[in-house]
Amino acid sequence: MNQRLNLALGALTALLMLGAIYMVFMFVPTEADQGIVQRIFYFHVPCAWVAFAAFGLVAICGIFYLWLGQDIWDDLGYAAAEIGMVFCTLVLVTGSIWAKPIWGTWWTWDSRLTTTLILWLLYGGYLMLRAMADDTPQVARFAAVVGIVAAVDVPVVVVSVRLWRTIHPAVLVTRQGGHGLEDPRMVATLLVALAAFTALFVWLLILRFATLRMRTRIMTLARDLNLAHAAAGDLCCTISTTSSPLTLSSLR
Amino acid sequence: MTGFSVILRKDLRLELRSGESTIALVALSLLILVVLVFALDPVGGVRDAATAAGALWVAMIFAGMIGSTRALLAERDNGCLRALIASPLDRGALYLAKLAAAFIFMAIAEAAAIVLMVLFFNLDFDSRLLRLLPIIGLGALGFSALSTLLAAISGRLRAGDLLLPLLAVPMFVPALIAGVKASGAALTGASFGASAQWLKILIAFDVIFLTSGYLLFEHVIGED
Repeated sequence: MNQRLNLALGALTALLMLGAIYMVFMFVPTEADQGIVQRIFYFHVPCAWVAFAAFGLVAICGIFYLWLGQDIWDDLGYAAAEIGMVFCTLVLVTGSIWAKPIWGTWWTWDSRLTTTLILWLLYGGYLMLRAMADDTPQVARFAAVVGIVAAVDVPVVVVSVRLWRTIHPAVLVTRQGGHGLEDPRMVATLLVALAAFTALFVWLLILRFATLRMRTRIMTLARDLNLAHAAAGDLCCTISTTSSPLTLSSLR
Repeated sequence: MTGFSVILRKDLRLELRSGESTIALVALSLLILVVLVFALDPVGGVRDAATAAGALWVAMIFAGMIGSTRALLAERDNGCLRALIASPLDRGALYLAKLAAAFIFMAIAEAAAIVLMVLFFNLDFDSRLLRLLPIIGLGALGFSALSTLLAAISGRLRAGDLLLPLLAVPMFVPALIAGVKASGAALTGASFGASAQWLKILIAFDVIFLTSGYLLFEHVIGED
């Protein structure tokens, strides 16, 4: 990834994030019912939107990879899953921090938290597959299939969890004010925070994607080198093409 | 004879001769139910219908995972999988055959589990169980569809048997929620109308995963 792009994205993210922080702590009025704790909302909601978008991207990359067979889609999907997981974890953590003073408990099985937890588990499984299978050549196909099936599952999860919690409502009152923001300052703050987190996501995604592209290129080169050596009858010198750091084994 | 029926009949014949998968699955379901009785300590009777339904579904999931792994494992011996792939057999047909085999094994295990559930949770052998059957059937079908696809992946990995539950269980959650609720309602004598929404979710789940599995199976099946 070239230095100028990196710098530009980083600067943009920093600017937007500083703006968002200022607005959250200085500009936006305190919400009437929940008090200052409600300000977490402006970080919590953008994280959730970004996480969902990231996981959608994983599925799209999976489809393109299976269809076109180009490694670039596999690398992009993997990067999106990793970064998406970070944001999904943040959603759960900020949600718990918000829940404790408001509802008196760290965790509750309300429909949104439950759905986010299932999402977190789905993509945790995806990342575990990547970690366990990284040395098999078909890992990209497997990951693409899992990514697609997980994304296809998400709407059913949302519907079923919502129904679960509607028919048997939680003891605690459902979170009010989700997006019912009356004050235009609140809307503005939310939008700026969303822009900040989107910029952060894009920056991290491109950074991670560039690293994965480089890794793919190195592994391809190593494989080609092995083939060249083998073709030349030079079987004593091989480069390992697993995900562990490149090693030159048994030089004779 | 279509490819689907050839593969299915082969798998069923194999299982009929050895019977090891089915017996192990039934035993596993029994053990899981026993563990859950100790864990949950239910009073029993219709008051605990919801708990009984939950226990049944837990047994289904864990038995189902093993069943699916076994259905594909058999092919790895003697290079059968290579032969299957080399043959002109449609991958989708292979998926459906494996799925049908897994479903049948699960159904047998579930039948045993239902009997055990009635005994352990002090329920009655009456018409309410008949209402339970289609719900369990839909759940087993969905789980077989899901886990046949995922077992094709996990079977080719070193630590695959660790990975299968990690992938399958979160994906199965919607059917689990809907199935347990619908089963609980059926056991307390409610009509199908009451659980209509849950049944719709189960059916949608089955359709989605059968279609996805059918379309995606060709990308994951292969030998090592």
